[in-house]
Amino acid sequence: MKENEGFVDYPEQQMILYVEKDDGKYGPMQTGSYLSANYMDDYVYKRRNLEMELREQLISGAISPVKYYMVLEDLSLSELAARAGVRKSKVRKHLDPKQFGIVTADELSRYARVFNIPVANLLQVVLVNVNGSFESNLILENKAGNISVDHASTKNPYVALTQIEERK
Amino acid sequence: MIIQNFNHKMAAHCESGTITSLLNHAGLDITEPLVFGIASGIFFGYFHSMKSFAFPTFIVRNKPGRMRVNIEKRLGIRFSTMDFRDAARGKQALDELIERNVPTAAQVDFFYMDYVPSWERVHINVHYLVVIGKEGNRYIISDAYFPKIVELEEASMEKGRFAGGSMSPKGFIFHVDKLPGEIDYRKAIMKGIDKACFSMLKIPIPFLGVKGIRTFAKKIVDWPKFARDTEHLSHEIMKINILLEDQGTGGAGFRFMYATFLQQAADMVGKPGLKELSGELMKIGDGWREISLFSARIGKNRDLGPDKLKQLSDMIYDRADVEERFFRSLSLAIK
Repeated sequence: MKENEGFVDYPEQQMILYVEKDDGKYGPMQTGSYLSANYMDDYVYKRRNLEMELREQLISGAISPVKYYMVLEDLSLSELAARAGVRKSKVRKHLDPKQFGIVTADELSRYARVFNIPVANLLQVVLVNVNGSFESNLILENKAGNISVDHASTKNPYVALTQIEERK
Repeated sequence: MIIQNFNHKMAAHCESGTITSLLNHAGLDITEPLVFGIASGIFFGYFHSMKSFAFPTFIVRNKPGRMRVNIEKRLGIRFSTMDFRDAARGKQALDELIERNVPTAAQVDFFYMDYVPSWERVHINVHYLVVIGKEGNRYIISDAYFPKIVELEEASMEKGRFAGGSMSPKGFIFHVDKLPGEIDYRKAIMKGIDKACFSMLKIPIPFLGVKGIRTFAKKIVDWPKFARDTEHLSHEIMKINILLEDQGTGGAGFRFMYATFLQQAADMVGKPGLKELSGELMKIGDGWREISLFSARIGKNRDLGPDKLKQLSDMIYDRADVEERFFRSLSLAIK
């Protein structure tokens, strides 16, 4: 690939591409991600749809919170079990909304650690009103217009401090 | 504090980039393609099992961690390595090395690296970075995927270093212990190429090497069976582009970087034939890039019917054929 064919102007995601320079030598070139530059809108669209679909299932009791995050974070059952240190047979039960109630606080905190969320978020969904409709703060990544939602961990592993404030 | 004189540089890949920057800091003038090539980094593996992965996937480099081991063996470098059961001890060891001004590479789960934009973050336990300092409770990081030095909170570093699951990092860290007096680059390059040819052509496992590329081509037409819906299939098909281009490969699933290695190696070992082969591999890489772009396009358009997947499959079969011929020629060129 020639140097001029590979360059993509996308400062948000930079990478190194090995290309053929003008003198015929191959070497590194810093460039932007072609995929992100051209298809980011499609990624966000799909991610938002997936979250909405999973949230509907979660709210209607069709899936458990563990399943919601497992699918969103693209983890297999075996991988989640290994990461959380919870037996596979137990994880299987925790994925079933009817059996989710047997989960212990310790197991919840293990899942929360893997999913990188406060434990409380396994028992609630935080939505933020943006332009008249509610959206998951997970998808908004706390970048909603004038509202900021921050979850801070505390020394108590089962308690998170959630601070909601108006952006200045 | 921050370790002075550490030259942060972006690299195509985290493992080869991390090794290169540690070696450069220790005083060895070596490029990332040379590290990658000597370490026999080029590879292909297709994994259809849904046990560890949520969806079938493939890799385009050798086993994570192998590059360091191969470089150590072939260049005679000594790395000091440590892993830990206890996170507190792991943190203490890392902090002590930083205190002693030793740039230290750490293996982490990429997902917990807060400085990474959310759309790039995935659970993968084999990301490598170099810790080059600490200010309060924040580590100063040289991550080869970022143009600038970044910072990471202690808590996130701990989550990343001690994530469980497949290829769990177990707090693994390493740093350069000793460089050899003299390096026989010719021998190291030949060995690196020989092993890469063996891995691509001769491993008797149907999902590895060129056979793995064919398995990928054969199985991709079945991917709709594993997808939840069309959007999921679109996402997975577009991930082919990520795995070949964006996930630290230097383009075309490492083929461009390996071509660069062969061009650099040709002069070092006095085999001009390698230069010709490097040009050939660059063209093979262009074909992989066409696959990347095609995958992105059909994924975006949700044009994922059997005819399009068959077309994609044929493109992948074609790569298997040209790579088989290429690695045969490469194998002969170093005899």
